[in-house]
Amino acid sequence: MSKTRRTYLIAWIAILAVLLAGSILAPDGTGGESVQETMRDAVLHESNQINLLGLRAVNPGLVSGMVVTAFLLAVAAGIRIFVIPRFRYVPGRFQLILEQIVGLFDGMAQSNSPWRNSFLGAYIFAAGTYIFTGTLFELFGFQAVSTAGRSIALPAPLSDINAAIMLGVLSYLVILSGAIAGNGLRGVRSALTEISLLISMSFRLFGALLSGLLVTELVYYYITLSFVLPVIVAVLFTLLHALIQSYVLTMLTALFYGEMSEPKEPRLKPPAHGRGKLVHDPTT
Amino acid sequence: MNIPLNIDWQQILLHLFNFAILAGGLYLLLYRPVKDFMKKREEHYQSMDEAAERARADAAQLQEQYASRLSQADAEIAQKRVEAQRELDQYRAQQMGAARQEAQSILDRAKENAEREHEEMLARAQKELADLAVTATEKLVLKAQGDPYEQFLDLAERGGAHEQPERE
Repeated sequence: MSKTRRTYLIAWIAILAVLLAGSILAPDGTGGESVQETMRDAVLHESNQINLLGLRAVNPGLVSGMVVTAFLLAVAAGIRIFVIPRFRYVPGRFQLILEQIVGLFDGMAQSNSPWRNSFLGAYIFAAGTYIFTGTLFELFGFQAVSTAGRSIALPAPLSDINAAIMLGVLSYLVILSGAIAGNGLRGVRSALTEISLLISMSFRLFGALLSGLLVTELVYYYITLSFVLPVIVAVLFTLLHALIQSYVLTMLTALFYGEMSEPKEPRLKPPAHGRGKLVHDPTT
Repeated sequence: MNIPLNIDWQQILLHLFNFAILAGGLYLLLYRPVKDFMKKREEHYQSMDEAAERARADAAQLQEQYASRLSQADAEIAQKRVEAQRELDQYRAQQMGAARQEAQSILDRAKENAEREHEEMLARAQKELADLAVTATEKLVLKAQGDPYEQFLDLAERGGAHEQPERE
């Protein structure tokens, strides 16, 4: 091992030791909050709320959602101004990634709903991007000050039940709109038979992301668990959730949208007397 | 009404408002431009493909035309060959006829010439024979008349007598 490399290694170990000592010796910033209170607050957000521009106290998830939205819109604007005008027919790496992302959601919409998919593609693109980026946002641990004066890490937007309900309900409404556009009032009837989607989609999203949040909270609550383990936890509960939940919600929405918006054939019934041709049933 | 799990309608609407802005912004800034570009590129390659397909179809049609023209040309060539052969045969027959005629005329002329020469030769021979006969007769006559030297002199005198009046 060369002398320079050895010096770097010793410096790195020293920095780690200082950080570890600092972490252990630094005063507890939670203000004596028990693990039960921390977990309960992660679910219900009863005490650790954030003041939204002096208007009212909101859950941290809403602030996270706004930050994610601002970030995504800034990135999109940058791409629109600086990258898209330089697109070429033979794409470079970044162009290829963008086309793959757009093509993924567009293809999903087209394959699941071949008859009506332009709006669906745009919706699942936005929803998928929001879920993915919002879930990854949790990894960065951006700090905010709660109304109680505590410093809290901003969670994933969809770990807030209000955000999960919003996205679940909105996805259901999108499906319902597809059903109406495809089949009129008959579509409404078929969409209402799938009303359980409202709850299943909302709470699936909420439960999945909340579980990640809770495990992370649990891990970070104890200082002894705060080394090495977060790497695995972050990968399992954040990166995988980001991918899986984006895929699940967008796939379910596209699937049900396609099923509901598919133009139904008029129901045929056999004639009342004897054998003969099938006739159109005017009541259907 | 106290909704369990701290569900707050106002926050749900705020989340919805936030997501609506995001969805609209992403659609306008990213989704539509990228999709438009992909569509444009697809159309570009599709038009290229169609142009290539058209060119291929044109080439195939052209090839077919050329093949049919070639077969037509072959037929025409065969027909022309037959016609040429026929013309050649006619020409040859004509030439042969003319040659025969010419040969006949040459033959006729040769025959005529030969006959004429024969007659001339006969005439000459007859004349020579007559001359010989005359000469022989003269010789015989002279021999009967005496010494040839004297006869010669007589003849010479006679000849001189004959020539003088002519000179006068």
